[in-house]
Amino acid sequence: MAATLGGTGARVAGVAFRSTGLTRLEVSKIPHHTLTVLYGKTLRTLQKMPEESTYRQSAERIVKERLDLVTKYKDPVQLEQKINAGLLEEVILHAEYELMLARNFLEWKPWEPLISEPPPNQWQWPVRAVPSGSGKT
Amino acid sequence: MAAKSLVCLGSTGWRAFVSGSTSKCHNSAVLYKSLVSPAGVIHQKRCQSAAAAAPPPPPPPPPLSARDQNPGLAAPTIRKHDGKLRESLIEFGQFVAKCLPKYVQKVLVTGTDELEILIAPEGVIPMTVFLKGHHNCMFANLTDIGAMDVPTRQYRFEVIYNFLSIQYNSRIRVRTYTDEFTPLDSITPILPAANWYEREAWDMFGIYFKGHPDLRRILTDYGFEGHPFRKDFPLSGYVEVRYDDEVKRVVVEPLEMTQEYRKFDLPSPWEAFPNFRDATEVPLALANQPKDTVALNAPPTSGTAQTKEVPKPAAKDAAKEAAKK
Repeated sequence: MAATLGGTGARVAGVAFRSTGLTRLEVSKIPHHTLTVLYGKTLRTLQKMPEESTYRQSAERIVKERLDLVTKYKDPVQLEQKINAGLLEEVILHAEYELMLARNFLEWKPWEPLISEPPPNQWQWPVRAVPSGSGKT
Repeated sequence: MAAKSLVCLGSTGWRAFVSGSTSKCHNSAVLYKSLVSPAGVIHQKRCQSAAAAAPPPPPPPPPLSARDQNPGLAAPTIRKHDGKLRESLIEFGQFVAKCLPKYVQKVLVTGTDELEILIAPEGVIPMTVFLKGHHNCMFANLTDIGAMDVPTRQYRFEVIYNFLSIQYNSRIRVRTYTDEFTPLDSITPILPAANWYEREAWDMFGIYFKGHPDLRRILTDYGFEGHPFRKDFPLSGYVEVRYDDEVKRVVVEPLEMTQEYRKFDLPSPWEAFPNFRDATEVPLALANQPKDTVALNAPPTSGTAQTKEVPKPAAKDAAKEAAKK
């Protein structure tokens, strides 16, 4: 994923990074620490989900990959290039979203079977006569 | 000359033409030659021999059009399918369905290569949070909320959410349903862009959104009654507004229409675009198998109305057949 929201552009080695250029997105002084904490929390939350949940597998794979990169590259410029998902501040924002999602999913349990079947003609288009016996005309 | 040309159209045209005037025949053959160069020479011979031989030659074949020469070439007015895009959409749709099996009822890929997730109304918030929050989705932009009224359905309103992911440059559509009395969860706390769209849906259709911070009319006038986009709302409305010169102000009165204006001869607004109206359903039962066993990656052939049935598990098929009978 190379697309980013834009802003003033990525970090450059040897140049102070003063602004992200994105509204309400402030420069992070300690991106490594923030990301490590967020990813750690996310992983601990994901571990409470059932192992066979596709969401858990997918999220765990991505978060672990990112966490490896964060521990491997101590230089913010290099880390930003290696993650390749926009500014580190954006990466932090996405990590926050993922954490909120994981915590909410623990409550909602979306891996359970389908909660309600649609009525027989609900997704039919163009509208046709309903088969007899379904009760609705 | 004009009369001769007319004769020429008949079955014995060649002979009649030749017997009338050989030179004219020759001229026309030369003219034809200049239009269709490879067949022209043979044609000239044919014309000369026709004077002696009895059987009339068959008419020359028309020149091949670009589409005849290349059958794969579709008409420029018909949208071409992007096979790779379609494949990735199917894959992503199955991924979403596997992540939230509790809420996803169906996954469709439309004839215009768009992904549609049809969900149970309970899943509006989980689906929105998932699409916004998961690293594989990042649909953080809500481009529109639409609604549709089909009074014959048990849940007459269909609500359609359109999301955009800037990071992945892709779009997704989530559809759900409700009726006049069942509130739908508001997604405004998750995506503030939904604020005005939900107000619009409330104003036009009367769909109630639970948890909306400020649900009130947005488009209609102060004191307006009813929801104009409902199918049972009359086209002319219930009231008319005019300036009354006696009381020197705008007055609102019940609508009075003479009989000749009460006849609304409207053709059906549906089926206006018969091409591409049907979407391909992504089989969710096959979603757990490896990718290459899913046998619907081939895009439908372009140029015709699509009715693509996707193979389903046998039990479901039998149930469907029984329901039809």
